[in-house]
Amino acid sequence: MKRTGFIVGFLAPAVLIYLALVLVPLGQALIFSAYQWRGVSAKRKFVGADNFRELAGDHDFLRSVTNNLWLLVGAGVVIIAVSLVVAHLTAAPGKSAKMLRGFSLVPQMVSLVAVAVLWQFIFNPEGLLNATLRGAGLTSWTRTWLGDSHFALAGVGVAFAWYAVGFYALLFGAGLRNIPAEVNEAAELDGSQGWNRFTQITWPMLWSVKRTAITYLVINVMNTFALVFLMTRGGPDRASDTMLTYLYEQAFVNSKFGYATAVAVGNFAVAMILSLAILFFLRRDPTSSQNKAAA
Amino acid sequence: MKGIFQWFAISALAISVVGCSQPAGSAKVSEPGGSTTKELKGDLEVVAFKGGYGLDQYEKAGKEFGEKNPDLKVKVTGDPRVWLQLRPRLVAGTPPDLMFPGWDMDVWALIEEGQLKPLDEALDQPAADGKGTWRDSFDPNVLKLGQKDGKTYLLPYYVMTYGWWFDPGVFTKNGWTAPKTYAELLTLCEKIKAKGIAPITYQGQYPYYMVEGMLLPWAASIGGIEAVNDAQNLVPGAWKSDALLKAATMIDELNKKGYLQAGAVGMSHTESQTQFVNGKAAMIPCGSWLPSEMKEVTPPTAKMQFFLPPVVDGGKGDPSTMLIGVEPWMIPNDAKNPDAGIELFRYMTSLPKAKEFVETKNTLMAIKGSDEVKLPEVLVPQSAALKAAKTVWSNQFRSWYKAAEKDIEGALTSMLNGELTPRQFVDRCEAAAEKTRKDSSIPKYKVS
Repeated sequence: MKRTGFIVGFLAPAVLIYLALVLVPLGQALIFSAYQWRGVSAKRKFVGADNFRELAGDHDFLRSVTNNLWLLVGAGVVIIAVSLVVAHLTAAPGKSAKMLRGFSLVPQMVSLVAVAVLWQFIFNPEGLLNATLRGAGLTSWTRTWLGDSHFALAGVGVAFAWYAVGFYALLFGAGLRNIPAEVNEAAELDGSQGWNRFTQITWPMLWSVKRTAITYLVINVMNTFALVFLMTRGGPDRASDTMLTYLYEQAFVNSKFGYATAVAVGNFAVAMILSLAILFFLRRDPTSSQNKAAA
Repeated sequence: MKGIFQWFAISALAISVVGCSQPAGSAKVSEPGGSTTKELKGDLEVVAFKGGYGLDQYEKAGKEFGEKNPDLKVKVTGDPRVWLQLRPRLVAGTPPDLMFPGWDMDVWALIEEGQLKPLDEALDQPAADGKGTWRDSFDPNVLKLGQKDGKTYLLPYYVMTYGWWFDPGVFTKNGWTAPKTYAELLTLCEKIKAKGIAPITYQGQYPYYMVEGMLLPWAASIGGIEAVNDAQNLVPGAWKSDALLKAATMIDELNKKGYLQAGAVGMSHTESQTQFVNGKAAMIPCGSWLPSEMKEVTPPTAKMQFFLPPVVDGGKGDPSTMLIGVEPWMIPNDAKNPDAGIELFRYMTSLPKAKEFVETKNTLMAIKGSDEVKLPEVLVPQSAALKAAKTVWSNQFRSWYKAAEKDIEGALTSMLNGELTPRQFVDRCEAAAEKTRKDSSIPKYKVS
């Protein structure tokens, strides 16, 4: 009994904080989503599941979900690939590796507003990218990158990847250092090198980091707001709208706070389903099963 | 019901300025029956949008008003994103006594929710200088923009005019003149383009600049103001009328002929306006705030001058038609000291104070006679155009039907990107209007 009280005493503060700051707001969001509320007075009208019915048939919302998924797939693949390369480069001994590790983290130290402004400048019709293309004689490749419905979302994705790579490189770097030296040595003795060693040894051994990284990515991409809002405002013609920019529009432009909360619940559901799917598909550590089989 | 009770409670106070002999600002409120008066007292909180005109004039007016009413403690605060601070206060029922919530507050939602006081009784009381009623001191074309169902909830202060801008220095040097008609515009654009300058730039990330600078003014020029009024009033078919289609076709023509700056579709307002002030584009549609907004980055040699959007030859519309806008002030229904809020605003809109604002902030005001001062050079053409305008209108559709406006703006961008024809564009506009018409949860309004 004394031991139970001891444990409860230690758990209580964390549980209470989690309850107050996470579960209660989530519950409130669920409640608000059942109301029609303009957000400028205390008057609310209960509409049951009407907001969700509207959401299910809202093409603009579905488009924003699709955009989020494209960002996840497009930027996600780039982020994982580049951060793995950076992690390998920074894992090597030497000063240059240390410097690279430092540089790769610089974008993480910059505020997202500054990142958005920087990439706006790069993608500006008179900006760095078009100037470089013109300089290289590729004038026909120049575009109004953020004003073009085919490139705006990709432009945001590039800025997001630039910002995020440092963090994931750090994560994968830690994963690489956790691969036991004897495993790498054994692989080397067996003649496994380069791409073969990466696919057969490194990639499987990064299982837990991979799982964490992809889950983080899902959460980060589903929560993308500032970059899109500042770089394109979801345009042109909703080509780069994401769930949270759509939520913002519904709440703060259209004064549909109840509906916006339903969008938030939808956003939460999508992020939760994706995260659970990742945890499900990556639930088994392939290396541990191999170990068991070997045993 | 609560709102009605509050309204009667305030009516019982019978807000009025007593006697024509009262100097401006020395406010007294008449008791019911108007026979006795009481001094304003207590706290008066004013919360204002801190935009390009700052807060200093509001603070000064508040200080002066406080000095004239020693029992009143006036506090003026503001913020560039003040609407975000005001929303929770309005929900909690603790708003300020007088507020200017800025351009991003959904003021029509405030009216629908009964959050604002109707101000007609106060407007029918004498003006601050005692000459006529307070209502008479406002330009009626501007005052009506804050009315719903015959009641006035939103009071105008400064007036924004919408049109186009050019650099007179550049135009004179090249022998160009600001085009009065669309035909002249086409000829001029060809000349400008030949000089290697983009004839027109625009704020592509914010398509409403083009809606208000080209689409709707041209529709009004082609089909008369009724064409635009019908569109604003959601009359079936109005958004795909011949006037709107022709106006869209004109924009498409400018785009296809290369008269609209390449890449402007992806530019923010500051990016495109910087192109203009740096002479990379010759003309830009924008509101009257352009000079103050771009003051910091405008080269000393650059100048800018306002002109009305070119009209369409043979159009039904009156060529003097002018588009204006206001950012209104209002009294919350839950204000603790609404009388004082009303009286302070009456003082702020008195002729001497309005003239002071015109002179210090270089903007036109909604108060009659406020432009009878030595106007700064940049304001002269706007003031002349406004005085000469036989028809003055405002794009209220944008604040009434925000979702439809967003659809229309998106469709305009797609047309500029070559993804929609003008016909497809107006069809999308009409579909957005139809969706609004059918949505019973969206309150409907009429241009008055």
